[in-house]
Amino acid sequence: MEKKTLRNFLICGLILLIVSLFPLVSNNFIIRFGTDILMFAIIASAWNIIGGYTGYASFGNVVFFGIGAYITAVLMEKAGMHFGIAYLAAGGGAALFAVLIGLPVLRLRGHYFAIATLGVAEAMKALVQNLEITEGNSGIYLPMLDLSIQGQYYFFFYMMLGTLVMTLLVTYLILNAKLGYSLIAIREDEDAANSVGINTTLSKTIAFALSGLFTGLAGSIYAYQQAFLKPGPAFTVHTTVKMIVMAVFGGMGKLFGPLIGAFGIEIISETLSNYFLVAHTLFFGTVVILAIVFTPKGLIDLITQRKFGISYFVENIREHRI
Amino acid sequence: MAILEGKNVTKRFAGLVAVGDVDFYLKQGEILGLIGPNGAGKTTLVNVIAGVYAPSDGDVYFKGKQISGKKPYQIGRMGISRTFQVVRPFPGMTVKENAAVGAMYGAGGKNKSAKEAIRRAEEILEFVGLADQMNKGADQLNVASRKRLEMAKAMAMDPELVLFDEVMAGLNFSEIDQAVELIKKIRESGMTILIIEHVMRAIKNVCDRIFVLHHGEKIADGAVEEVLNDENVIKAYLGKRYKELTH
Repeated sequence: MEKKTLRNFLICGLILLIVSLFPLVSNNFIIRFGTDILMFAIIASAWNIIGGYTGYASFGNVVFFGIGAYITAVLMEKAGMHFGIAYLAAGGGAALFAVLIGLPVLRLRGHYFAIATLGVAEAMKALVQNLEITEGNSGIYLPMLDLSIQGQYYFFFYMMLGTLVMTLLVTYLILNAKLGYSLIAIREDEDAANSVGINTTLSKTIAFALSGLFTGLAGSIYAYQQAFLKPGPAFTVHTTVKMIVMAVFGGMGKLFGPLIGAFGIEIISETLSNYFLVAHTLFFGTVVILAIVFTPKGLIDLITQRKFGISYFVENIREHRI
Repeated sequence: MAILEGKNVTKRFAGLVAVGDVDFYLKQGEILGLIGPNGAGKTTLVNVIAGVYAPSDGDVYFKGKQISGKKPYQIGRMGISRTFQVVRPFPGMTVKENAAVGAMYGAGGKNKSAKEAIRRAEEILEFVGLADQMNKGADQLNVASRKRLEMAKAMAMDPELVLFDEVMAGLNFSEIDQAVELIKKIRESGMTILIIEHVMRAIKNVCDRIFVLHHGEKIADGAVEEVLNDENVIKAYLGKRYKELTH
């Protein structure tokens, strides 16, 4: 057991090393593409904490992304703060918002929770559109990063990479601590979890706050990278859908599932849009549907179980048919 | 001294009185059987004790402290654990993880790390006889093993009082006898037990005292033989032919 853990750590370290060296041997277009993948990997992994492990499918996680982005923009542009401070404040602010909104919303379960979180995100968008400090619908500019073009590409890539590593590391630590067990217990049966002594409200709120924290950090880097923010794109429901699809595609409730999902989805959609200029979303949708039907447990299950036979797919269809 | 005491406990659901003005007590170390026909309010009473419902009237005291109105997890951490009539293991976890969650968050969980809790879970599973199925998924167990796991989860919490809600329903005779042995073993380890059961064979074997509910009201409370020969109990629950069948 210990030996296996050590081996897994070594493999992860090796992959991390390769990914960190990757920008040095590729062009800026590809670095930018890699940065996007890392960003989606962060927010999909953050969604996994509340949606995958705790079983609360949030349809409004983009609200943390937008809040993180706008906190960064306002602090840097209006208060002239350094990005480092704005970055931490963005994460903290999004986590705090998650706690406040979680108190009422986490009392709901299932579809009701999903709809309520969706509503929260839309409401926040409307608020940001009408506030003076966020400059409403006309959008807000951020100060430019004072680095060479090449340096900027490197900076954002490594910021995203660092944040992703932090997200996965924290998730890993949680999973091996009591908190992780309480989250999975809540997902499996919340009332039974309560009766074995788990303060379900507290556990759920912590999970939601952590999900908000990392999503907010990703939003912060995104804002600095874009250098210009508008409420529409920052709070779009499209981002939420994307993180959920990635998490499910890769394997929700699995540590590396969302990461693999983000990587897979981005590569597929990029390749498709290269070949089919107009119809690529159609093909993309088909790929996602096929993946969900044949591997409902996600790509990670295929990789870890090493089952590629037809029987594996047949079994999946039989188990998960409605 | 009574470890658990209920005074005038009443639970109403929108006018329907599920439990009406019931007094009860449990002495340290005893096994109390709670019997009664379906719909008598047995499970409701357990739910009131465990904090799922707050009583509409009356109070419950555990070791002299009022617990009515507290949340289930608070009561669980104070040292009362319960099983569910319809077993509720965490299906996506292994048997070991199921018991470990109890060990982590129950009365004995405060000073335990996740690793220590897992070790405790292994001990408990050994104790209830599930050691060989420890690494199976909880959803792969058969009925008897599921009931055992439900008991293991409750015991892993290191409670002083356990509430067993029909842990023998659906078991065959030899499985019932094994469960009876297990319950006796649990008592020997120092726990006080409240047991709801329809299986008379088990009730007669393990209980020190019986308590009968009918339409939410207490109709008898006393030594096993005495209660089972009580006119009212026979009429309300056991049936006229009970004596002929058992004697």
